Order: sequence, then structure tokens, then C-alpha cells
Amino acid sequence: MFKMKFWRKWSRILHRDIGYFFIGTSIIYGISGIALNHMSDWNPNYSVTLKSFTTNLNFDNKKSVKNNILLLLDDVDRRENYKKHYYKNQNTLKVFLKGGSSLLVNLNSGHGEVEYLKRRPVFYESNYLHYNPNRIWTWFSDAFAAALILFAITSIIMVKGKKGIKGRGGIYTALGIIIPIIFLIMYL
Amino acid sequence: MKKISIILVLILAFVACKNEEKKVDESITETPFLAIADFDAKAGDFVSKEIKINGIVDHVCKHGGKKLLLVSDEANVHVVSDERFDEALIGSEINLKGVVLEEIIDEAYCFKMEEDNIKSHSEGQSNDEQFEAKKQHIKEYRDYMKENNTDHISNYSLQYVSHSELE
Repeated sequence: MFKMKFWRKWSRILHRDIGYFFIGTSIIYGISGIALNHMSDWNPNYSVTLKSFTTNLNFDNKKSVKNNILLLLDDVDRRENYKKHYYKNQNTLKVFLKGGSSLLVNLNSGHGEVEYLKRRPVFYESNYLHYNPNRIWTWFSDAFAAALILFAITSIIMVKGKKGIKGRGGIYTALGIIIPIIFLIMYL
Repeated sequence: MKKISIILVLILAFVACKNEEKKVDESITETPFLAIADFDAKAGDFVSKEIKINGIVDHVCKHGGKKLLLVSDEANVHVVSDERFDEALIGSEINLKGVVLEEIIDEAYCFKMEEDNIKSHSEGQSNDEQFEAKKQHIKEYRDYMKENNTDHISNYSLQYVSHSELE
């Protein structure tokens, strides 16, 4: 009995204090988890704006093309943002701009479209961390994953009575296990 | 004194041999450079070997971030990696070192592709447009093999090793 009291007490302490420590990390993984789950519906890192334009500038001559691209950028963006360009095919020139934006110009018609990318604040940073950018973050996220396992174990022990694992908590726990099992049976 | 002299001579001889071996190794392991325009034509000679190539990063796969398309005015090369590529590379001209991979597309490959296409369409994982596009793609492979009187097509790509940005 004493032993159970001991474990219950320490489960509560660990669940609470480690829980506080990982509040920020939980929010980061929660936000990026939802954002990356719906990657086929939206760009989770950038908001994308498209803008059409028409130009009379000539981009056929490879010697003068750079200068004409800079003149075009004076109209549709800023020449300082020029990064690189190449001919995607015989009729299309692609220009890369700083920050991930780019533009395409049809060499025959002069019609073009700029794709402006703007980082989504919070989402960009959360997604960056979610993708394990380096070894240090891998260690930290491993610690977070271990803490999640600890939270699961301590949540079983820390509450006694009707609201604990032998009562309502047990029903919720069973549901949380049954749902992934049903999913696996149906789709695996 | 005599012993010391002999030991010194032996050490010098050993070091000289070592240096000679190193020189030979360096000349053997120097990574060949392929122009991106020549990649499809010459990659067959370098399957499973390292090469270097220059190109502009056109895009990085937004899903896994482990695929990259290297382009020039004349051609493009697909690059795959075990690690995620930095999206900031898009639009940069880079010198990339990679191992040439060969994917063989033959009748068995087309048949498997056909089966997968029907399966994913019947399970609702692909829409009509995607289903028809893939069907057309398979047809193009078969037509190409027939026209060129060959039993397979080799698709070459690169397994990423390292890169450096060019100015």
C-alpha cells in the first residue's frame, strides 16, 4: 500500500514537472503536426501569392538577358532580389528570387507570372524543428518522445479511485488503444 | 649510431612508400565531372560511382524534402538524399557530388505500374485525372521501347553525397 502511494506521488510530480518543461515543445509538435498532415492541401511553410504580368522586354539574347531580367524585376519585384535564371524550355525563362520566390516568362507572348513566397510565422519555425534540423535537436526531441512515454505510464498510476485507471480513466485508455487498432485492421 | 641510421633509413623509406601510395590513391579516387547536358548520355558509364555535377536547384520536394531537381538550360537531373535538403538552396547554383543510380524500366516495371495504378484508383487514392495521366505515362514508356527496339529504358539519377554553392 505504501509502495503504491509512493509511486502515485512520484508519478504526479514527474507528470507535472516534466509536463511543464515540455509545454513549449508540445505546442511546437502539435502545430507542425497539423500543418504537415495537410501538406497536400496547402504549403505549410510559405503563403503563396501569384501575380500575372506582361512585358515587352526581350529575353532571347543570352548576353543581354540578365540586364533585361533586372529591368523586369524593377517592375514586378526588386532587382536586389535576383538570384539565378535558366531557360526551362525553348519558350520559358525561369528566374529565381531571394527568399524562394520565382517567376516564369513566356518568351513568345511576354506573359508571365511571379510566385511570391512569404514565410508563415510560427509555422515555418515549428516545421523546421519538426524535421530534426540537426543532431542536437534530435537528442532533445528523443528526450521529448521519452517524456511522452513517461506521461502515458504516469497517467495510469497517478490518479486513484473512480476517475483513475480502474474507472473513467480506464475507459478512455481502452478507447485510445482500440481506435488505432481498428484503423490498422481496416487499412493495413 | 649505426642502428639509429638504419632505423631512420627504414622510417624514411616507409614514409616515402606511404606518400607514393597516397598519391596513387588520390589520382584513382578523383571524382569525375559530368556536364549536366551530358548526364543522360554518359551516366550509364558511372553507375554506382561518384561523379560531380553543376546545376541550379529548381526545387526541393516539399513533402519529404529528400528529393531535389538540378537544372540547366539543356537538361535536368533528379537527386535523392537520406537527409532533408535545405529549401534555401532553391535557385542556387551548386556543385554536387553524388553516386549515379540506375532505374530500369522494362515490361515487368510497366506491368507493376499498371497494377498499382488500377489499385490506387479503385481504392480512391487517385482521381480520374491522375489515373489517366499515369496510364498515358505507361503507354509512353511502352511506345518508346517499341520505337527504339529495346526491352528497357534506363533512368538515371543521383544519390546525394555532398555539395558546395557556386557564386
